[in-house]
Amino acid sequence: MNLHRVRRLSGVLVASQLRSGRSSSDPRSFLGQPALIGVLDAVLFLLAFALAELGVRSLPIAPGVLDPLVRAILPYLPMIAVAAVLVGGVMFELTSTSKFSGSDSANWLPLTPREYVSASSAAVAYTYSPAMALLLGAVLPLAIATGAFGAWVLAVLLSIASLFEGAFVVEMVRSLTQRMSSVSAGRRGQVTLLLRAALIVIVIVAFQFAFNPVLLFGLLQHAAILDLVTAIVPLFWSTQALTEWLAGQFAWGLLFGGAQIAFAALLLVLAARVRTRYWAVGTSEVRLSAVHYAAGHPALQALGLSPPEAAIASKDLRGYVRRRELLPMLVIPVVLVIIVVVEGGTIGGLGAILWIGWVAGFFSLLLALSSIGQERRALQSLYAFPISAKNLLRAKAAGVLIPALLGAVGTSVAVGLLFGFGGVEVLEVTALNCSAAFVLCFWGLVFAGRYSDFQERPRPQYLRPTAMLGAMGSGMVLLLVIVIPGGVAILSPALGNLGLLAWTAGSIVLLGALAVLWARSGFVRMFRELPF
Amino acid sequence: MSSFPSRGPLPSTSSAPRIPLEVDRISKSYGMVRALSEVSFTVPPGQIVGLLGPNGAGKSTTMKAVLGLIRPDAGQIRVFARDVQADPVATKREIGYVPEAPSLYEFLTGAEYLDFVADMYGIPRAVREERIPQFLSGLELAGHEDSLISGYSQGMKQKVALIAGLLHRPRLLVLDEPLNGLDPRSARVVKDLLRNLATTDGVGVLFSTHVLEIAEAICDRIIILSHGSVLAMDTVDALRARAGLPGSGLEDVFLALTGTGDLTEVVSALSR
Repeated sequence: MNLHRVRRLSGVLVASQLRSGRSSSDPRSFLGQPALIGVLDAVLFLLAFALAELGVRSLPIAPGVLDPLVRAILPYLPMIAVAAVLVGGVMFELTSTSKFSGSDSANWLPLTPREYVSASSAAVAYTYSPAMALLLGAVLPLAIATGAFGAWVLAVLLSIASLFEGAFVVEMVRSLTQRMSSVSAGRRGQVTLLLRAALIVIVIVAFQFAFNPVLLFGLLQHAAILDLVTAIVPLFWSTQALTEWLAGQFAWGLLFGGAQIAFAALLLVLAARVRTRYWAVGTSEVRLSAVHYAAGHPALQALGLSPPEAAIASKDLRGYVRRRELLPMLVIPVVLVIIVVVEGGTIGGLGAILWIGWVAGFFSLLLALSSIGQERRALQSLYAFPISAKNLLRAKAAGVLIPALLGAVGTSVAVGLLFGFGGVEVLEVTALNCSAAFVLCFWGLVFAGRYSDFQERPRPQYLRPTAMLGAMGSGMVLLLVIVIPGGVAILSPALGNLGLLAWTAGSIVLLGALAVLWARSGFVRMFRELPF
Repeated sequence: MSSFPSRGPLPSTSSAPRIPLEVDRISKSYGMVRALSEVSFTVPPGQIVGLLGPNGAGKSTTMKAVLGLIRPDAGQIRVFARDVQADPVATKREIGYVPEAPSLYEFLTGAEYLDFVADMYGIPRAVREERIPQFLSGLELAGHEDSLISGYSQGMKQKVALIAGLLHRPRLLVLDEPLNGLDPRSARVVKDLLRNLATTDGVGVLFSTHVLEIAEAICDRIIILSHGSVLAMDTVDALRARAGLPGSGLEDVFLALTGTGDLTEVVSALSR
């Protein structure tokens, strides 16, 4: 393996990620240099360290409190690293088009599969490293105060290995979903496309449950032989290593730590093998049944859409199941709903409502945020058609709301049945979750109309990174404002449910109206001139 | 050629047979870069006007401005006497556009994509049932229309983009390198079709290409853009005379007018 080539390629991949926003589009700008992430790592590490150190020194912490705290946090840091990369991977890394996920731009270069996988994984691990820098910086003063500096150093090593583990798994999923995309080649019919979509979703969900330590740990909590399982399952070896180290069993700590690093190396070999087999983008000619040219989409037009609006919405709806790069987004609600089912006994009825409401809103937000950016260069066609900004907004909102509302209704009814809600409660929960989906749809369109990213790149994103962070953060706040009082009002009438219901209804109307107005103004501005 | 429908009953949105395109002193800058500088020209009815120029001369920017995809900093563009910026939706109904690098929705089949385009222009079912198969057959895409576009070759995608631009019987065609990737037969069909639409139906055509033989063969007038300005605008014969190269091909005329005539040293250096 030529490390120089690996380093150069990973640098290019990181740079392509960074140079998406207009502000960083100048290649000479430091904001577009891979070193930016290293600086960010250092800044976050030092900031977290300083704050935690200040806390340790100035807060009146009782003796004996810090030690259990370190034992409760430090062993799980590597697991968080793997989980962060896997969750982020589904949201951002697996959403590249087949052109780039097949890495056409690099395939002609003299690179071995192992070199490509190493470079791509290094880029992914590096991209997610600021989160770990923050956590490791915050834990360091606690570790020093409790004499666990050695364990902290081991945690740093294992966290880095874990970032790579997660990235190797993402590479495997990338190759496998690429393969899933071409299994339908030469076949006929819509069922083929649905089957392909289902296969891709199943592969991603299966990998989430097999390799996401947080989910796996949640499931294993129910197992009576937890200790035995954690000693056997490689993903827990880092936790086991740090636990043993903190208990003074240094040899066992090193053994488990070494085993985890060996497991990461094994994942690299596996990821390279999977890529060797499935990297090529085959020409997957899929034939559908003959189209009888038909003017309009009656079902969508019945919802009040004009023929061009219905055509765009219909096109978007087809895209959800036909576009490999959009399918990972469908995985997120599936995983989150499965968690509710798995955790059903412990989170209770109110918890389930809040969770499902959050999922409904988050799903709607995610679809809306990607609704404009996923047009990529084809946006030029939409601009050339005789439609207005209002037409585009209505079409895009329909393309988001139809799946989001169907999902909200389906999950609300399912959760209602699972937790034995009454008919009225089910209706109230459904209305609450649909309202959350509605508000978050337009909130997402506020950002999509202003900050979408249209560049074709190896690691594409539908929205500029800072806008994505802003949209996610503010969206979560909106969801809290709507779903928490609404959920409490539905299940706890004794707490003055009329007031809370009024608050919820008022929030929905006010926030919904604001979001619609801002989304409209953003679309009007965006439609004045092609943004690329 | 005979397989294509002549101009039929599709209702026109404007009754006045005025000048298809008038570009009046438009300028456009991107930051410090001056992309267009006081560009003016017209495309009269029934004429094919070729837009030529070196890479980065401003051809695509001009075409996008005509479509209203970008807003000029100064100047005005009128399509059938209607200001493009004032009434973009009505203007776009009159224009058929083929971009330089068409980005199609590759998760749709060719037929689904053309049906989608027909929806955008409000083409009635009977008309699309008649015209789409005729175009598919004429450009030898029949039999592929039910396959996903992701499986098409570059030339097939270009043909779909061309059909999409012609489907609604526009009265002004804005074609940015429309023959890119086409096989010789299809290129010939498209050239003949453009000539037929111009002479028979009075369609105005603004046509950019780097293949100067094509421009020479089908364009009534040539506009040469360089560094965002109009360098020359006339018939091919008049341009030859102006360049002092009577009897020469358009390539020599173009190289002479754009100041890139003597390439001997460049070729010699590259051959070493």
